[in-house]
Amino acid sequence: MISVNGLKKKFKLTKDHKKGITEAQQDPREEKDYFHSVRDVHFHCEQGEVLGLLGPNGAGKTTTLRMLSTALKPDEGSIEVGGVDLVKKPLAGRKAIGFLSGSTGLYGRLTAKENVEYFAKLHGMKGAELKQRCDELFTLLDMHSFLDKRADNLSTGMKQKTNIARAVVHRPKVVILDEPTTGLDIMTTQTVINFIKGLKEQGTPVVFSTHHLDEVALLCDRVTVIDQGLTCFDGTLAAFKEQGHSEELNQAFMNILEGHRHV
Amino acid sequence: MFEVFLKEIKELLRDRKTLMFIVALPLLIFPVIFAVVGYMMAMANLEAEQEVHKVYIIGAEAAPEFTESVKYHKNFELVTANYANKNDIIQAIQNEELDVGIVIEAKAQPESREQTTWQVIYNDSARINYLFIYIEELKEQYQSKVQTLSFNALGVTKESEMEFLISPIKLEKVDTADARESWGEKIGVLLPYLLIPIVLTGAVYPAIDLGAGEKERGTLETLLLTPISRTNIVLGKFLTVLSASLATASLSILSMGLWLFVARTFVNVSEFTVALSHITFVELLAMLSLLIPLAAMFSSIVLSISIYARTFKEAQNYMGPLSMLVFIPVMISVMPNMELTYKTAFIPVTNVALAIKELLKGTSEIGILAVIVGSSILLAVGLLAFCVRWFNQEKVLFR
Repeated sequence: MISVNGLKKKFKLTKDHKKGITEAQQDPREEKDYFHSVRDVHFHCEQGEVLGLLGPNGAGKTTTLRMLSTALKPDEGSIEVGGVDLVKKPLAGRKAIGFLSGSTGLYGRLTAKENVEYFAKLHGMKGAELKQRCDELFTLLDMHSFLDKRADNLSTGMKQKTNIARAVVHRPKVVILDEPTTGLDIMTTQTVINFIKGLKEQGTPVVFSTHHLDEVALLCDRVTVIDQGLTCFDGTLAAFKEQGHSEELNQAFMNILEGHRHV
Repeated sequence: MFEVFLKEIKELLRDRKTLMFIVALPLLIFPVIFAVVGYMMAMANLEAEQEVHKVYIIGAEAAPEFTESVKYHKNFELVTANYANKNDIIQAIQNEELDVGIVIEAKAQPESREQTTWQVIYNDSARINYLFIYIEELKEQYQSKVQTLSFNALGVTKESEMEFLISPIKLEKVDTADARESWGEKIGVLLPYLLIPIVLTGAVYPAIDLGAGEKERGTLETLLLTPISRTNIVLGKFLTVLSASLATASLSILSMGLWLFVARTFVNVSEFTVALSHITFVELLAMLSLLIPLAAMFSSIVLSISIYARTFKEAQNYMGPLSMLVFIPVMISVMPNMELTYKTAFIPVTNVALAIKELLKGTSEIGILAVIVGSSILLAVGLLAFCVRWFNQEKVLFR
């Protein structure tokens, strides 16, 4: 189970950032020398649920997911994963989390196999346990044909499969995906979708951010919409359509955003 | 930490660019550069030695024996022309009709007992020019004959008396420095100029790859999400950069020794090698122990810079001025009267440069060396602590 409450995160603005910005252009989250990227975000996701994190560009989704993955420390708020307080015990939390984003890379000079094994070792796996888990993933993701190829020489699809294996090699309790299908072709996108479906079947909670609402329709049980650093919707997919006054997800999303900005 | 270190080493060894900087540069490129420069200089010297210069003498009749010696010198061709004065010769040299003109104003004769002035007119801007040396040699020979005739005319015939009259006091230098100290002083100026920047060069590229490179490739964020502390991650990276730096320095020393050995078969450097053969194993170890904390200092600095940079290119831009900065303390070490004392032993980098010189000369003091190693280790630890702290800051990692 993932539970996020009252999450806040601000960043110090650089001089370059402020240069040439008029008052009208200024983001409402800018205050003196700080940019309040995340002002109040909350959501929760139960075992076996897939939560879609939606929001326009710059809404604070990536910052939220970075806090969820423990890369960033929240200024305020709490994050609990499987009973572990990630803010207080980030190292313990990392063992429970599998993170994958569209921009995370692989070590190009290591082979696909070496990449996965390296992350397994960093998670404390070794010996027979490591070998067994890696073999299991290589078979599951059909990776045997390119295991000994250097990551630099892999196709986008092969890279994404390796990335998936790397993200879940330590059997995480929850999986976080930041725009995992951005820039991918149809075949590779399908691999990612199948992977999320597989996690759901296993009962692993998944939080993923996306701009593709067809993926939300296909995979999500719950939806959270973030706008200007605030949660403006958190509920089931049915409630999302209801509050958005539309069966069509794009329209429902637009309506929810519009409603939030007019409040 | 060691998992990170082992993986980084594996990746570095698979990177052609890194291998070029760490292995090929010291082992092959440096000697090749030295060999090419040496060959070109030797060729230029040979060419200068074989060059035949066109010479014209105004007032040749005043010194016929001198004119004769110029005529038969292998590097001169006496031109038959009719230049009337100094200006004509300058013009002729500018028009490249002539290389050198000699103006003999009056005959140097024993009877007159007056010094005469000869002018040697030539273009002295050439890089290697033996012209003036040849003329001076011929003048010395001629002058010696005139001096003997003059002394004879005065009734002085003994060579010892002549020597006394020319130079009543002779200074004789007795150098207490042995061959090693003398060579050590000379090489001790050069070696830090080569060795210290090499220690830095060996650290720069791996550091950029391991910091900014990882950020740019998107692998750093993934690494940060593993259950090992950021301190252990940065220590693993630091150890990799330090190893690369020390490997480059060691290979450079090895390469220089190897090429010196090869050079012995071509040129006479026996005095030099005999002098350096007095360097003991302990002194070599002392040199290495001076370089280790220095490499650690450089590794911490370049890793901190690299972690701060967002991209490989940005990191490279920061490293440029740093490479220039390193030369300043090395230059301070070769300033006149700069000696290794308990005070200068606290100046970072300069102290190591001075200590290398003392070790080469065989005049090092264990107490001062201990101060240098101690102060360098302290500084290296401080810089590493800063690097670790730096790596733990979100504003640095997620700029």
